[in-house]
Amino acid sequence: MVGEIIMKKYILNSLLVAAVLFVASCKPEIESPAGTTAGTANFGKYIAVGNSLTSGFADGGLYLEGQKVAYPNLIAEKMATVGGGSFTSPFFTDAQANGSGYLSLTALVNGVPTLTPVTNNLAYRDATHLAKYTGEVQNLGIPGMRVDLAFAGPFSAANPYLERLLPDAQVGVTTYFQFIQGRNHTFFSLWLGNNDALGYATNGGVTTDATNVLTDKSTFALLYSNLVNSLTAGGQKGIVGTIPDVTSIPYFNTVTVAALLTAAKAINPAAAAIYIQTGTGAVRAATSEDLIRLPFQSAGLFGSTASSPYPYGLHPLNPIANNWVLDKDEVAKVKDFVLSYNNTIKSLADSKGLAIADTYTYLNQVKTGIVINGIGINSAFITGGAFSLDGVHLTPRGNAVIANVFINAINAKYGSTIPIVDVTQYRGVKFPN
Amino acid sequence: MKKILLSVLLSVPFWVMAQGFQVNLQGQKQIGMAGAGSALALDEASVFFNPGAVTFLEKNSVSAGVNPLLFKSAFQQAGSNITENVKNKIAPPFEFYAVWGPKSNKWKLGLGVYTPFGGLVDWGDNWSGKYALTSLNLKAIYIQPTLSVKITDRIGIGAGFVYNHGDVNLQRAIPVNFPDGHSGKVTLDGTGKGYGWNAGIYINTLSNITFAITHKSKVITKLDGGTAEFDVPNSLRTSFPAGNTFTAELPLPATTTLGIGIPLSKSTKLAFDASWVQWHIYQDLSFDYATNTSALADTKSARNYRDGSSFKLGINHQATEKLALRAGVGYAFSPVQDGYVTPEAPDADRYILSAGAGYSFTSKFEVNASFFFEDVKSRTQKNIETGLNGTFKTLVYAPGISLTYKW
Repeated sequence: MVGEIIMKKYILNSLLVAAVLFVASCKPEIESPAGTTAGTANFGKYIAVGNSLTSGFADGGLYLEGQKVAYPNLIAEKMATVGGGSFTSPFFTDAQANGSGYLSLTALVNGVPTLTPVTNNLAYRDATHLAKYTGEVQNLGIPGMRVDLAFAGPFSAANPYLERLLPDAQVGVTTYFQFIQGRNHTFFSLWLGNNDALGYATNGGVTTDATNVLTDKSTFALLYSNLVNSLTAGGQKGIVGTIPDVTSIPYFNTVTVAALLTAAKAINPAAAAIYIQTGTGAVRAATSEDLIRLPFQSAGLFGSTASSPYPYGLHPLNPIANNWVLDKDEVAKVKDFVLSYNNTIKSLADSKGLAIADTYTYLNQVKTGIVINGIGINSAFITGGAFSLDGVHLTPRGNAVIANVFINAINAKYGSTIPIVDVTQYRGVKFPN
Repeated sequence: MKKILLSVLLSVPFWVMAQGFQVNLQGQKQIGMAGAGSALALDEASVFFNPGAVTFLEKNSVSAGVNPLLFKSAFQQAGSNITENVKNKIAPPFEFYAVWGPKSNKWKLGLGVYTPFGGLVDWGDNWSGKYALTSLNLKAIYIQPTLSVKITDRIGIGAGFVYNHGDVNLQRAIPVNFPDGHSGKVTLDGTGKGYGWNAGIYINTLSNITFAITHKSKVITKLDGGTAEFDVPNSLRTSFPAGNTFTAELPLPATTTLGIGIPLSKSTKLAFDASWVQWHIYQDLSFDYATNTSALADTKSARNYRDGSSFKLGINHQATEKLALRAGVGYAFSPVQDGYVTPEAPDADRYILSAGAGYSFTSKFEVNASFFFEDVKSRTQKNIETGLNGTFKTLVYAPGISLTYKW
């Protein structure tokens, strides 16, 4: 009897143990088409053509952390599951990881940021030139590159980011257009042209040199088609990106006229208006349609009486200078040019059967705010999460978001299933601890 | 043997949750029958299943059981090829019952301590839904003293008062980054209580087909003075003050059940339960912080649950004088609507399968074991609040055992 009880107990317990072991090994499965096919595209060798955004420029500089999470690098990583090959970038070395130097947020008191330049472990070989990089490069993003200057030989000497990638003999001779050719690519991304409008805008609508010209619309169309024709010369497939509206970035929507007026009234309740000098030289009270550049908040000019008996920006006789302001008419002009550029980009892409990453439309959505996996993302400076401390370029999180805009457009166009990037794995702005 | 069993139990993932936060593991015999049995006066677990049937129990008894539950949930973001799984955690639902009454009298007293709601889910600190939730540990322990009375030889009624002790610990990441890049985090931890009741009627017809109607009331569980701990970079500390507290309310739904028991033979009985779970009271999950800042407002997250329901069919077969065998099937309709599925309750309609066995070693001592399996259907949707977009798939396994002493 006792033996029987022990036996029964043993059987019962054994069954329980077996059951527990069995189920512990049974995981739920989720089937997914992601990462299974390249569709009609061939991702064997991907090259990324573009400007600072493509290079991973962030926080006012090009440095290793940003380079590693540049949107093309994130895309390439995911392409690997559908036949993508290796993807090379002109990374700075670990010893020179801070590259050109960049801005770091070192304090945030009552919402007022202190930005401090990072000056150690830089990659300068002399005062103005960066350490050379030799070897295969597939991330061809060059900070400051423009559609018009992609065809200018001297620019490869003037631009330190292109200069560092060229053998000495080619510096100042080889154009960016030539630089991107002959790379035997099977797939490309082309997100260029932002600076053709932004260079002008971020200089307050004042043209002083070739980097802040507003590129003529028909010139843009001609040169952009040269780029597309070259990149598709071997029948390659690819994706082009549209140019975001300049007003969708924190650079132009952080220092608002209303914020300045509030700050002025806190000191002098009688303050009634902010005065600006427009592109035509006229002086008038600013409205919410006039955009003031982000660096103005740390320029130390506002309200100053250092160079005039009247407080700077608060009196018609001492208005905010033209180069700090993209006034209403200049805004309209830039918007008009961007629309024209984008029409060019889209119609060329359509004629070549290319995918289009419509970052113009997407960043307009970000401007009003989107939520991805529980992360609220908008175009607010610092707290918005997508834009880095320069107010123009993307944080790692912003790069991940944009990478998915590209990936989704590629998949939609070519029937591929490049997996998306997990946005939650990438940071926004780093807050001081 | 005990040692081996224990070590196995500790080394595998366990986890509580079913149908929203409802845990359908309240009696080993009934679990073996997919959770049906409100119309059977099977054992002391009738304190939970139908207080009206308690008075028809032949003997006085106490029993205690545990059902370590493996809740294996997986998530895949839309467009991703990466499947993420919950971590291995142990949180066994348990049940304790005692029934006593003078022999051949018309009334019996009962006491039940059981865990009808709960959830333990740990997705880890760095999964793709971390800004919605990293982990939740929710426990509701109901304590229910009960009186059951025979109105006639064939009709019994019973009712019990329910006191709920609730514990909640909810953690999620905050999308602000420290200088080394890692995310902030919030931990909400609180204890609460609530009150309700459980009543039922048991009818044995002349054909010996039995019927049950039971109603378990809603229990609004209030958490007061819970701690809200924010782990954020110091430059944001003024926005997320230290030592903050919160109040919250977790409404646990009422359940109305209709049950039928059908004797197929002297030794075999069928049980069927249809339950209506009135989840509509769970409209939002709100946290009211004692200190608010411009960055920290009170939150009110819509849940918008609708009522859920379940249908369960079980069979109990007395194979020998000492050995009983059981099996059951069921289907449950989720209370969670599209757009409101969250990682804290990755719910969907589900199939239920179960099996069980009982063995009476002596006339006084009985062991029952069960195995309960739920296949929660794969569900793809985008959460309206967080934008978390993807597919959840969950399998639930719960082996269980209980010991009963009767006199």
